[in-house]
Amino acid sequence: MRSTRVLALLPLALLLSLAGAPLARLMAEGAGTLSPAFLFDPYYRWRLLWSFTQALATCALALLFGLPIAWALARFDFPGRRWLMRLMMLPFVMPTLVAAMGVLALFGPEGVTGVMGQDTPWLLLYGNLFYNLPLLVRSAQEGFARLPASRIMAARTLGASPWRVFWRIELPGALPWVCSALCLVFLYCFSGFGLALILGGQRYATVEVEIYTLVAYELNLGDASALALTVLAITGLAALGYAWLERILARPLRGMALPRSAPTGWRQYALLALAMGLTAMLALAPLAAIAWRALWAGAAWQALADPEVWGALANTARFTALALAGACVFGLAHAFAMRRSVLLGTLAFLPYALSPICVAFGLLLLYPGLSASLVLLIGAYTLLAYPFIARGLAASLDAVPAHLPQAARTLGASPWRLTWRLLLPLAAPALRRGMAFAAATALGEFAVTLFLSRPEWMTLTTLIYQRLGRPGAMNQDSALVLSCLLMLLAMLAFVLIEWQREEARDAGGR
Amino acid sequence: MKFRRLCLALSLFGVALGAQADSLRVITHSSFEVSKPLLADFEKQTGIQVELIKAGDAGEMLNKLILTRANPIADVVFGLDNSLAGKAEEAGVIAPSTLKSDGRKARYSLPGGLVSTDYGYVTLVYDKAWFAKHNLPLPKSLADLTLPAYRDLLVVENPATSSPGQAFLFSTIHAMGEERAFAFWRKLRGNGVKVVKDWGIAYNTDFSHNGGGRPIVLSYATDPAAEVAFSKVKITESPVGTLPLPGAVYQQIEGAGLIQGGHERAAAEKFIAFLRSKPVQQDLQTQMWMYPVMQGTPLAPVFSFAKEPAAHQTPSAQEIRAKGQDWVKRWTQVVLK
Repeated sequence: MRSTRVLALLPLALLLSLAGAPLARLMAEGAGTLSPAFLFDPYYRWRLLWSFTQALATCALALLFGLPIAWALARFDFPGRRWLMRLMMLPFVMPTLVAAMGVLALFGPEGVTGVMGQDTPWLLLYGNLFYNLPLLVRSAQEGFARLPASRIMAARTLGASPWRVFWRIELPGALPWVCSALCLVFLYCFSGFGLALILGGQRYATVEVEIYTLVAYELNLGDASALALTVLAITGLAALGYAWLERILARPLRGMALPRSAPTGWRQYALLALAMGLTAMLALAPLAAIAWRALWAGAAWQALADPEVWGALANTARFTALALAGACVFGLAHAFAMRRSVLLGTLAFLPYALSPICVAFGLLLLYPGLSASLVLLIGAYTLLAYPFIARGLAASLDAVPAHLPQAARTLGASPWRLTWRLLLPLAAPALRRGMAFAAATALGEFAVTLFLSRPEWMTLTTLIYQRLGRPGAMNQDSALVLSCLLMLLAMLAFVLIEWQREEARDAGGR
Repeated sequence: MKFRRLCLALSLFGVALGAQADSLRVITHSSFEVSKPLLADFEKQTGIQVELIKAGDAGEMLNKLILTRANPIADVVFGLDNSLAGKAEEAGVIAPSTLKSDGRKARYSLPGGLVSTDYGYVTLVYDKAWFAKHNLPLPKSLADLTLPAYRDLLVVENPATSSPGQAFLFSTIHAMGEERAFAFWRKLRGNGVKVVKDWGIAYNTDFSHNGGGRPIVLSYATDPAAEVAFSKVKITESPVGTLPLPGAVYQQIEGAGLIQGGHERAAAEKFIAFLRSKPVQQDLQTQMWMYPVMQGTPLAPVFSFAKEPAAHQTPSAQEIRAKGQDWVKRWTQVVLK
């Protein structure tokens, strides 16, 4: 175990060189003007407060809508359950740009619903929910499913009503899972950038967007650094909480889980219908809206014949493959190193907690010669993608019962052989899922591509962004068609990697 | 284990990517477009390999240049305009160009060692169908926009984050004087002007022609032509028109320059000359929707839909350099906070 800690040097070097050092470099540039006075500026205070509020509100809404879905998925067996579980994963692999386009296709100008959500906080909250609801549902579902049947049975025998069982036994039992998901939801929403940039508008943008404005347009590095540090501190706390909860959750199961049963009675059917309705409304509607509007785009489909689009597709595939390879290397190293270490587990969140714009500008300052080099671009992609592999894999490795490696060692297996023949095969499903997430991250990445970009490296996301920035209906429609294409690609990556997974682990896999 | 083989293949593919040769590094704003064959011709004829780096909005690009001036990230810059020329000069990021004239004359020039390449106008653009449907006469002056009849009709870009937004602020100040201009902005705020982050959101999301709720948008004078060119069906009249009201027309002159401390001087000069060459001057019209700066360049036929405004209200680059930042700060106080 001690020897595997050495592996941490690899991801730590990446984190330091591509995230820590650039941020420090940028802050050093603005150090002269760094002061806590920004806390007294009512404008910045409002930004921080709003970021906080929208993250908390998303947590509350995710809890409200997510718990019924999770409970229904954990307790009921019904045709299409597997499909629902898989569909719930879709939002998570969707690029930010696609999600934002989807929300706008529903509630934006000429939206499918006819409701205008612009200039209200609801647009951003809905976008947040789209991404984060599945997170909570999957986690809570697992918590509910793992609860020992004996406890529930005992309560029922003693005459507790289903409500009482839920409140007194099931919810407290699943609480660690729910809380760990809430930590993540808060972390993603509080430090969110892409969605807030597109959906927040002038008033409801998050503090990350403010940092972007301060650095990119006003060159006010002092205030930007101060805000970035505040964000880092708050997200750091959330990440620490998550890593700590993960350690608790890694304990092996006790007792048999309650088997799922077919719903009976109108109440259970109503609950199931509610769960399906909520899933469709919150997790699938934006994607359906994009597909629907793209279907009617007609002539804009000719855009697919454009060699520019094919070039972008090739680049997207190339960068995704390279980033995926890098993410596997660093993800494996970090996963083996961070087992049962809260600190290293927290560090896996660093790529999300850091302000992307500060890092991007810091990179320019630190490595001017590499400003438009493939090494830096792929490095940045890898940095954002690898934690998905590291975290999933680490959780899965922690769940391997201790007696298995012990037995293998007794039989004379070398550490390498042990890893290759025992640990990796056991963790393979988690690795595959991590790879799906990592691939999706690289597919949809646009913040980095916007900053470290060269035209011949046009990817699908930058192409969509470029079309959105041009006048005329044709360009808007082709942006929509390209978003649809990107959505299909994300689904393909997801299906290719995730679909082959054995069903047996469906309830336990994360 | 399939995924292990996959990992191996992927990493081999990664190693197979080679290093890159020395070349001319050109930094541009993200709206820079030039036809690929033209660029390929230039590379073939001069033997210079061009490495294009797109660095976001023009203001954002200049900030990147200022931040990295000790160790520049490019050799030549395209896309700095008269709003930014002063700031660029003050920061010392531009090295004067010694480009020789080839006999053709440029209509406009830029200070601070920049070489002008194209120009255009930031102005108000309206949705013809909306005004016809609501039977509302077009505003005759900027003051009209503060009247109840025009409440909630206008969307503009934030001067702090968008070059056209900044241009409009400057032109109102140039036309009315600082105090009256900010009084006008205060009234405009009371009359429901909407402020958005950048041009793309204003034009493509909030403009009623594209499904939004605002029939007047702060945009460019060439939009009517672009709308015809990018229309889904062939049309003979543009669906949008310009409102070149006094105080709402800003002339933007864009140019290129050598970056202080950059390499490949000779190649950089050649690239600037390329931007002023006949084919590029012709090409940029329908690529970037700007007017060519070199005299004698024929206009693209579709530009018949975009009349050049007869007058404009543009402060000098010196004035912008001296007061521009304070104006933007004051605007943020008056309109946003």
